[in-house]
Amino acid sequence: MDVQAFPFEAMASRCELRLAIAPGVDGARLAQAAIDEVLRIESTYSRYRTGGIVNRINHAAGRDPVVCDDETNALLDYARVLHASSGGLFDITSGVLRRAWDFRRPVLPAQAALDALLPLVGWQHVEREHGAIRLSKAGMEIDFGGFGKEYAADRAAALLAASGVRHGYVNLGGDLRIIGPRPDGASWEIGVQDPRDTERLAGAIPIASGALATSGDYERFIDIAGKRYCHVLDPRSGMPVSHWRSVSVLGPLAIAAGSCSTIAMLMQEDGLAFLDNSGMAYLAIDLQGQCFRKDV
Amino acid sequence: MTTQLLPAQPAALGHAILAAALMLPGLVHAETPPEHASISVKLLSYEESQSSIDRIRVRAPSVSLIAPVAGVWSVAASLTADDVSGASPRYHTAVSGASRMSDDRKAGDASVTRYFQRGSLTVGAAYSTEHDYDSRALSVTGTMSSEDKNTTWSLGVGGSDDAINPVNFIVRDESRQTVNFLAGVTQVLGPNDLAQLTVTHNRGHGYFSDPYKAFDNRPRQRNQSTLMGRWNHHYAATGGTSRLSYRYYTDTYGIRAHTFGGEYVQPAGQGWIITPSARLYSQRAARFYFDPVYDGVLGEPFRPGYASNPDGLSSADQRLSGFGAVTLGIKVAKQLSRDWIVDVKLEAYQQRGSWRLFDKGSPGLEPLRAHSIQLGLTRQW
Repeated sequence: MDVQAFPFEAMASRCELRLAIAPGVDGARLAQAAIDEVLRIESTYSRYRTGGIVNRINHAAGRDPVVCDDETNALLDYARVLHASSGGLFDITSGVLRRAWDFRRPVLPAQAALDALLPLVGWQHVEREHGAIRLSKAGMEIDFGGFGKEYAADRAAALLAASGVRHGYVNLGGDLRIIGPRPDGASWEIGVQDPRDTERLAGAIPIASGALATSGDYERFIDIAGKRYCHVLDPRSGMPVSHWRSVSVLGPLAIAAGSCSTIAMLMQEDGLAFLDNSGMAYLAIDLQGQCFRKDV
Repeated sequence: MTTQLLPAQPAALGHAILAAALMLPGLVHAETPPEHASISVKLLSYEESQSSIDRIRVRAPSVSLIAPVAGVWSVAASLTADDVSGASPRYHTAVSGASRMSDDRKAGDASVTRYFQRGSLTVGAAYSTEHDYDSRALSVTGTMSSEDKNTTWSLGVGGSDDAINPVNFIVRDESRQTVNFLAGVTQVLGPNDLAQLTVTHNRGHGYFSDPYKAFDNRPRQRNQSTLMGRWNHHYAATGGTSRLSYRYYTDTYGIRAHTFGGEYVQPAGQGWIITPSARLYSQRAARFYFDPVYDGVLGEPFRPGYASNPDGLSSADQRLSGFGAVTLGIKVAKQLSRDWIVDVKLEAYQQRGSWRLFDKGSPGLEPLRAHSIQLGLTRQW
C-alpha cells in the first residue's frame, strides 16, 4: 500500500490528506469526497457567505429569531458547553472585536473602539428557543471560526473511515485527525512547529490514533515596540492574551483537542492547570520559550 | 467593561468538552478499524399483561458498536429506537377503562475510553428523547489495577438532567437532576473464580411523580443506594461458567429490595452456547404507597383520608407496592462463523404481592406477567 498525499487549500489554510490506499481503489475519488466535506463546512459556516446560516443569524441580530438546522444547533450546543467550561472565556460572539483589530497594520486599536464593541460580546445575550437563535443586540455576531476547522477535520476523517480507509490522516492547517496508523501499524510522526521559527520544529509527536490541534500566538499577530499582539482575544477586555506562544493538545477528537488548546491560551497562566485536568496530552510553550508537556 | 465570569472549575472540564464533542453529528460515527470492531443489532419485543388485558407492548431495535482504536483509545456508541404502545397506567390494577397510549423513544450514547498500563478512563454521554421526556447524562469512570492485575478498583461519577413535559399538562417544564457515584472492586480469586463488590449511590431531586396518574404525589427528593456482589465460577470439567449475584437496594422512599440472580453459561460444541437463568426479587412497599382501599366519601381513585389531606404523599403505582417476582430465562447463541454470532433470548416474568420473601406483600393487586423475546445478530471483525 502506497501512502498518497492530496494537498488542497481550504479555510485560509494549507491542508493535506495523507492516505494509504489499497491497490485498485480510486484514492483520488475518496480524497475528493473528503475535501468536498471540508469545503461544505467552510461554505456553510462562513460568516462572509451571504445567505449562509451564520450570515443570516448575524444579519438578524437585534431583530428576529432564525430557525437553525440540526447540525447548526448541535454546534451551538457545543459552543454553549465551551463557554460554560471556560468560565466565559471561549465565546463565539467575540468575533466582533475584529472590527477594532487589524492584524495587517501595526497599530493598536483605540480604547474607545474596543469599549464600543465590548457590550456586543457575550453568550448570555444569545437567546435560543425551539431550535431557533436570536442575538438580542443589534450588531452582535457569532462565528464558528474557533472550532470549525477541527470540526471539519473530524467529519472528513470519519467520512474517509466510513469509506474503508484505515490508514492516514486529515491535516487542516495544522489541526489533525488521524484515521489510522501507517499501513505497517507504526505511528505517524507529526511535527509541532516552533512558534518563533517557521523553518524549525519544536518537537515531533508519534501519533497512531486520535487528533492533534494547536493554538498559538504566531498565526496572526502584530508587533508594536517589541510587544507581540496575537489574534487570540480575551472577550472581557478585547485585548490579546500573552502567556503562551503555543499550546498543542493530543486527544481523541480534533474538535475537543482544539477547544482545549484555545481555552488554555485564553486562561493564560491558569491554562496549565486546566490542561492537567483535561485528561489529554499536551505540549505548551510559554512566552519565555519554556516547554511544559504531559504524555498520557 | 468586563462581562460577568461564570465560575470555572478546571477539574473534569476536559471531560465535559469531550462529552459535548461526542454529541456533534458525524464525528465518531465511523472510527472503526475493522480488524478490532464489532457491531450488533438487537430486536427486543416485550409484552406485559394482567387479567387478560394486554397492557404494554414494546418493539425496540437497537444497534451498538464498539471499536478499540489502536490499543490506546476505544470508541463505543449505540442507538436505540423504541415504539411503545398499549394501555396507559391505571390507578390500581382492578380499575379498568384504560385509554390507549403510544410513544416512541430515540436514544443514543457514545463513550471514549483511554487505556493506560494499569487502568482506564472512560467518558460517556447519553441522550434520549420522547415526545414528553428528554434526558441528558454524562459520566466519567476510572479503573485502576494492582501490580499483579488481580485486583481492580473502579470509581465513577455521573450526572443526568431530565426535562419532563407531559402531554396532559399536569405539570409544565418540570425537571429532575441526578448525581450518581460508583465504587467497586473486582478480585481474581484463582484460575476459576472472580468476585466483585460494587456500591452505588444516586442522589436525585426534582419531579418523580407519574404525571399520567392522578393523585400520584411523590417526594421531590430520592436517594438510592445499592450493594451488589457477584461471583463467577468456571467449571473446568464441563467448560461451563456459573454467575451468581446478590443485590441489596434501599432508598429514601422506604423501599428495601433483595435480588438473587443466577445463570449458567454452557458451551455445547459446534458453536452453540446455552444460558439458562433465574432471578428472584422481593421488595418492601414505599412508605406512601396505598393499598387499593379507597376513600369512603370520594370513592376511587382517592386514597382514604384524601379529603382531609389532599396534598399528602401518595402513589398507587404497582411498582412501588410490596411484592415478590420471579424471572426465568434462556438464551441460545450460535457462532455461525468466525465473524458472526446469532442469539435468541426468551424471558418470562411474574410479580405477585403474596410472593414477597421476608414479610407480607401488598394485598389486592392482580399478578403482573410479562415476557420478552430478543433476537440479536453480532458481527465482529
